[in-house]
Amino acid sequence: MSSRGGKQKKGNVTSEQEEEEQPLQAVLVADSFNRRFFPISKDQPRALLPLGNVAMIDYTLEFLTSTGVQETFVFCCWMSNKIKDHLLKSKWCRPTSPNVVHIITSDLYRSLGDVLRDVDAKNLVRNDFILVYGDVVSNIDVSQALQEHRHRRKVDKNISVMTMVFKESSPGHKSRCEEDDVIVAMDSKSKRVLHYQKTQGLKKLQFPMNIFQHGSDEFEVRHDLLDCHISICSPQVAELFTDNFDYQTRSDFVRGILVNEEILGNQIHLYVTQDGYGARVSNLQMYDSVSSDMVRRWVYPLTPEANFTDQQGQGCTHSRHNVYRGAEVSLGQGSQMEENVLIGRDTSIGANCRISNSVIGNNCTIGDNVVLDRAYMWNNVHISSNVEIHQSVVCDGAVVKEAVRLNKQCVLAYNVVIGPNLSLPEGTVVSMHHPEEEEEDDDDEFLSDDQEVGHSKDKTRQKAFNPAEVGPEGKGYIWKASMDDTEDEELAQCLWGLVLNPDPESDSESEASEESQDHSRSVSPEIDDVNAFQLEVLGTLQRGLEENIVCDNLVLEINSLKYAYNITLKEVMQILTRVVLEYPFQQQGTQLTTLQYTGSLLPLLKTWSPVFKNYIKRPQDHLDCLSAVEELFLEQDTHQTAMVKVLMKMYQLEILEEEAILKWFSTGATNDKSRQLRKNQGLQKFIKWLEEAEDESSEEGE
Amino acid sequence: MPGADKETAITERIEAFLADLKRGGSGTGPLRGSGEMARETTYLLRRITAQARWSSAGDLMEIIRNEGRRMTAAQPSETTVGNMVRRVLKIIREEYARSRGSSEETEQQESLHKLLTSGGLSEENFRQQFVHLKANVIEAINELLTELDGTTDNIAMQALEHIHSNEVIMTVGRSRTVEAFLKDAARKRKFHVIVAECAPFCQGHEMATGLSKAGIETTVIADAAIFAVMSRVNKVIIGTQTVLANGGLRAVNGAHSVALAARHHSTPLIICAPMFKLSPQFPNEEDTFHKFVSPHEMLPFTAGEILSKVNVHCPVFDYVPPELITLFISNIGGNAPSYIYRLMSELYHPEDHEL
Repeated sequence: MSSRGGKQKKGNVTSEQEEEEQPLQAVLVADSFNRRFFPISKDQPRALLPLGNVAMIDYTLEFLTSTGVQETFVFCCWMSNKIKDHLLKSKWCRPTSPNVVHIITSDLYRSLGDVLRDVDAKNLVRNDFILVYGDVVSNIDVSQALQEHRHRRKVDKNISVMTMVFKESSPGHKSRCEEDDVIVAMDSKSKRVLHYQKTQGLKKLQFPMNIFQHGSDEFEVRHDLLDCHISICSPQVAELFTDNFDYQTRSDFVRGILVNEEILGNQIHLYVTQDGYGARVSNLQMYDSVSSDMVRRWVYPLTPEANFTDQQGQGCTHSRHNVYRGAEVSLGQGSQMEENVLIGRDTSIGANCRISNSVIGNNCTIGDNVVLDRAYMWNNVHISSNVEIHQSVVCDGAVVKEAVRLNKQCVLAYNVVIGPNLSLPEGTVVSMHHPEEEEEDDDDEFLSDDQEVGHSKDKTRQKAFNPAEVGPEGKGYIWKASMDDTEDEELAQCLWGLVLNPDPESDSESEASEESQDHSRSVSPEIDDVNAFQLEVLGTLQRGLEENIVCDNLVLEINSLKYAYNITLKEVMQILTRVVLEYPFQQQGTQLTTLQYTGSLLPLLKTWSPVFKNYIKRPQDHLDCLSAVEELFLEQDTHQTAMVKVLMKMYQLEILEEEAILKWFSTGATNDKSRQLRKNQGLQKFIKWLEEAEDESSEEGE
Repeated sequence: MPGADKETAITERIEAFLADLKRGGSGTGPLRGSGEMARETTYLLRRITAQARWSSAGDLMEIIRNEGRRMTAAQPSETTVGNMVRRVLKIIREEYARSRGSSEETEQQESLHKLLTSGGLSEENFRQQFVHLKANVIEAINELLTELDGTTDNIAMQALEHIHSNEVIMTVGRSRTVEAFLKDAARKRKFHVIVAECAPFCQGHEMATGLSKAGIETTVIADAAIFAVMSRVNKVIIGTQTVLANGGLRAVNGAHSVALAARHHSTPLIICAPMFKLSPQFPNEEDTFHKFVSPHEMLPFTAGEILSKVNVHCPVFDYVPPELITLFISNIGGNAPSYIYRLMSELYHPEDHEL
């Protein structure tokens, strides 16, 4: 009779005996590290904003508990005291809770990276853990994903570091967040992530060539995935964040792992689920759609009437058309709750109101003849008669006076008063905080919600409400609809996400970049990095020559540079080849004759041949190296005759193999110039010689 | 202090059970059969009886009633839990009455005279303390557990009286009781079972696999074909989630259409329902009667844009009115729907109908 919370988990782990004893842990990041909810999140941290009258963090904790998590670390930063108070009062901190919640607060966290580095520093996790944000609403059963993750780690000796949970949902679904829209290329069989990119409304996307040459039989490029922001991480993830102090977010991490995959050998996998529901409330548009999904019971069993937070008096009843009513709700004569309506306790509604698709919090009063459609009202809101509200958020304590009309996507932050007799245009944001306070704060960090606000300024501007904007009795300041001063690369920083200006181009089409042999640049993450890297390599080699450093150490140094600049192995080789071949020009100017050039280059090749050999191993590497050589000599066309000598030398030094050279010669030509190059007499002779040498079998080889 | 330890252990148990109830069923109805649920509830109640602090029957009843309220609130659709709480309350009343020396009979008799003169058995009458009350109550709960363990077998034993050779039997969805019933009959008789798949959860598939493994000739049909096939069917045997006080059913979705088709063809409709499914609830209690789960099965989440334009509902239960039902087969024998009220008064004390 095992009716314990951890039952599900135990059932799954029985196959892996050694891990059975370890409780499942989770890291919950209760800070968004951005300002999407900004004027609202100034007064209340995002994790505590109510969704269906329940704080968002409660959904996340319930999700974790129901998947069998027994220990959760909640990291908070912005307004950590509020979160702490909330959690201490909730059922999670009762002694009987199957999920032990530890609250860790620090004002120093600026990103997810900081949190995970702290996890590593404090040595909190001992085993695979689940990483979520405090605003994830989900009922996905991740035990299957967990099992797959553990199995992979067992089979492949800790190669897989992370399994991301995605939900299938086709484009156009309203709970797909435009900002989080991703294209993922994955190996069909092993579910390994090969490429991960946010689309950000792009019409054309580029895929690196190596995912096509990856060697697995099948792979998929998918755009029908919804990122649930739930990831199963191995303890290495925290270590990797510590090692790479530039990782800020999970996408940094994913990108980093994918780029360094060949070297570090770490892989990321994907778990795609069709059942269950999972979404992150990352902006108000998502808030809207997650709320309505919740009321429409997509997140069952996390429904409003389930009262899973176990708070006294929070219960409500569910009746037809998804109408939920809390205790002591009064409804005036002639009022209709049409469909998908949730009304919190002690709320009274006047006569002849029409309410549909709305969530109304506790203790609200609503007057007569009010029309609410897709309105989200939090607690203690007062709405007078003859008000019309469409698709808007009204926060705690706000007052809407008579005959006010809120058009789409308005936001009334805490304690704002509006009206009477006013119509707010679409997308208006009203807050008791003056927008200029925020701009001043903007100078320091734009990353986080957590700026302490200079309250002194508040008082000086107290009188300056503009009656034209907020009505004769209004209180509050209008915020600009879009804060274009933030230099974010993402399109909109505004509360409602991208919807304000529906992007006709958002239906992005994916397209694999067609590349051939001369794919030198297109793969690179950023050209600047490549150039910087090239300079560094040059410097390293120079120093190596001057100070007579052993080639092994040079290799070490180049490898570390490679990480610093996020360069792929292939590029390292191309750049190395280039740098070495250009070295005489660098040292003695470009006016060298071909003879002088070869004279100074050949000894260098000999010295650095171990470095080359370290990087050129597979047949593909040989071809890449050759194409780099070819490219250089195409640029330096006066020295084309030297090319044969270089090739000969490299062949003799066993840097290049003859098959590779022959293959390159026969197949490599793609354009006129390179065909011209191949007509070079010396080269032809060299090739012929190589061919003969091959015919006369191995003795001639050297 | 060991007492305190025990207390926390038991509250932890209760919390875990409640949490389980709340999450109960990820869409396909309860994860466990209601038989198991009944047993688990009874185990838990036995533990509360044994470990909680109480001095008189009244205290104990109050404790159990409180816990019972929370359990039923956690998952109102799981009526078995409430039923078991009522059974245990009834046991306590009986044991208390026996300890007091008054015969059970007189306590139970409901005469018009008694209703008029006294206010029934009121709370202060339970204040007397008895040394052996605890042991007696636990003993009686153990008896109840034995009864629960035997229910499915008891029902299955009656199979041969109802199923004859070469009959065509129809059933809908999956019921453990019906499965055992049919398998028992299959040991002696040869017959054909038609299983309606019961979309959208298609529990019927599972049922059909189970039956065909037992060597029963089984056919799965789509729900739409129920009416067409009904003319060939000799008997319809289905399970149910709850038997309501009026003799109606709260059964799996689709049961109503089967019942109507059976009535149209005058095919007998037999319900296999153990006694613990008998609930004093009436079908008019709208709010808790239905259970709506995630619409995922009706219109998958992957459907995309359309979802924001339509409202999709996915109810789990159907109400089958009593007049469509021919016979109930319970662990104590066969009964007509009109007799349910009588069974109800035998099983539960009228004061316990409302927890």
